[in-house]
Amino acid sequence: MFLHNLKYEFLNNIRQKDVIFWVMCFPIILGTFFYIGFGKLYEKEEIFSEIHIAVTFVKEDDIFSSVIGKMEAADESPFEFRYADTDEAEEMLEKGDVSGIITVDDEISLTVMSSGMEQSVIKSFLDQYKSQKQIISDISANDPSKYTEAINALYAEIDAIENNSLTDGNMNYYDTYFMNLITMAALFGMVTGVFSATNNQGNLSAIGARKCLSPNNRFITMTSSLTAAFITQLCSVIIATTFVLFVLKIDMGGNIPMIYLSGAIGAFAGISIGFFIGSAGRMSVAVKDAIATSISMFCCFLSGLMVGNMKPLIEEKCPVINRINPAALISDLFYCLTIYDNYARYLEKAVTLLIISAIFITGGFLLTRRKTYENL
Amino acid sequence: MSDTIVKIENLVKRYKELTALDHLNIEIREGEVFGLLGPNGSGKTTAINCLLSLLNYDKGNIEVFGKKMTPTSYDIKQQIGVIMQNVAVLDELTVWENINFFCGLYIKEKKKRKQYVQEAVEFTGLEDFVKFYPKKLSGGLLRRLNIACGIAHKPKLIILDEPTVAVDPQSRNRILEGIQELNHNGATIIYTSHYMEEVEQICTRIAIIDKGKNIAIGTKDELKKMIHNTETITIEIVELDSGTLRKIKSLEHVYNAVFNEDHLTIKCSGGVHNLIDVLAILKEDGVSFGRVYSELPTLNDVFLEITGKEMRDTEGQ
Repeated sequence: MFLHNLKYEFLNNIRQKDVIFWVMCFPIILGTFFYIGFGKLYEKEEIFSEIHIAVTFVKEDDIFSSVIGKMEAADESPFEFRYADTDEAEEMLEKGDVSGIITVDDEISLTVMSSGMEQSVIKSFLDQYKSQKQIISDISANDPSKYTEAINALYAEIDAIENNSLTDGNMNYYDTYFMNLITMAALFGMVTGVFSATNNQGNLSAIGARKCLSPNNRFITMTSSLTAAFITQLCSVIIATTFVLFVLKIDMGGNIPMIYLSGAIGAFAGISIGFFIGSAGRMSVAVKDAIATSISMFCCFLSGLMVGNMKPLIEEKCPVINRINPAALISDLFYCLTIYDNYARYLEKAVTLLIISAIFITGGFLLTRRKTYENL
Repeated sequence: MSDTIVKIENLVKRYKELTALDHLNIEIREGEVFGLLGPNGSGKTTAINCLLSLLNYDKGNIEVFGKKMTPTSYDIKQQIGVIMQNVAVLDELTVWENINFFCGLYIKEKKKRKQYVQEAVEFTGLEDFVKFYPKKLSGGLLRRLNIACGIAHKPKLIILDEPTVAVDPQSRNRILEGIQELNHNGATIIYTSHYMEEVEQICTRIAIIDKGKNIAIGTKDELKKMIHNTETITIEIVELDSGTLRKIKSLEHVYNAVFNEDHLTIKCSGGVHNLIDVLAILKEDGVSFGRVYSELPTLNDVFLEITGKEMRDTEGQ
């Protein structure tokens, strides 16, 4: 019975033209528009991706001067150095013209206004410099012929810091839009989940009534319907992810199976929430469908699908929303795969999503556990 | 005496202040085509939904096939086929797939199911439409698909809740013939409708329901015998004086005569020559008349006499 119901529910889902459009085609169309729209921005971003640093020399440092001189001479330098006195440097920092001030004195120090990726890169650069400075100093004293070689080696290491952005991850700002796009495709599962719930309730649909009258355990029919809904949604997420990864060639880190797994977790979360909405209350299927669509879009909005910096903004103002917003959690899964070398944060997000899904599914089953209805 | 298939005793169902079923009692025997007749809102569908354990009820007892009916009475449900008032098919499955899907909820064995589906397709005359999707079917064909989905698993008890609503006459006749054929093949039928003609045509026993109460039950002849009226005579007359009308009213078996808008309507109780007697008086008084009708009582007359209102008057309330 489980497989019989699963097969026909899946066929019915996959053949629905509105499902095909909204769940499968819409993310691809939107992704294409993103790609076209961001094309110019990508180039612009690359041109202006240098980190601006104010350098204030209180005391001369030949080695440091050599290193930054080498960097300035390079074709693709990660940094742009602006030499200034202390007051000018502070003014530039306050205006946001530079990300930090390097003050060269007996010790080399860094002043920043806020924490962020650029500030972290500057700090890493300085840490790298400090750890190598003594070696270069020794080479300069003992074997001046190798001085240039040592400076080059230091430059190469510092350059790698910027390119790799502290980890092996990719940090392109616009790629988060594509992560949110896959998130949207996953969360559209709410609509499929709503239909899955209503098609099994005798008081909400004629199909549901007919199923309730069949000699089958309700839990089994509902579970098979949910599974069919999940498979439908999974297909959509796989298509959207494949399109983003292999057609648009968006870099989301190298762990392809984990990217698909993240999409699957997202789809499961979407289906679960939709199942709960479909199970709650006696509103019509159309109303529940509208509620599910609105919630999924609102969650995506909060996670930055429409406005890229929405998530950091929420993180600053009301971080709890980012901890429970399924869209934010799903896009965080992709983000973690792209940024971090280990899975600690990924696991944290994935487990949170699975707990949310479990709560909604349990709630849905509890709401529909009754076998007879007060009204039809 | 045939076995009792369905037994409903003192069934009470309330929706807050409204009593939808008021101590309803019905017994349906094996092999019957049992009609539940009543105006819209009389409680027919509510009774069916309680019988099927879809709706909970406040009081009473329901037994099907000699066992108490509950939501988990899967052995009973296995033997019931339901054709609901609203068409219940999946829009994106073809005619064949729909019948196969719903039949599969009852019949696990694939080979047997295929045979049953084929028989249901033939029974409902959907052979030429098996690959069609429901949205491509006309209203009548869609109703037939709805029926095929409900009966494909060969149930012993078939419940049809207003299956001919919004159906063209041709499809309606086909559906009614099909129901009788199902009955001849051994199924017990429960048929709810507010179309009296349909119920009279196919039902072997009828319960008339009004305001959740069973107000009369029996064969159509038994029901008609319950009322005073045995014949209604209608005559088209342009002009009629009060003396002639008084003479007609004084006839032995006439209990009511009304002249209204060029029509004389005479209600008779008993007697065999009522029409001849009336026409003789008209001839004697030199009254010229047009068409003459003599009708035996209908179920509407039964309903009218018991409730004091026309069944059609109450529709949509």
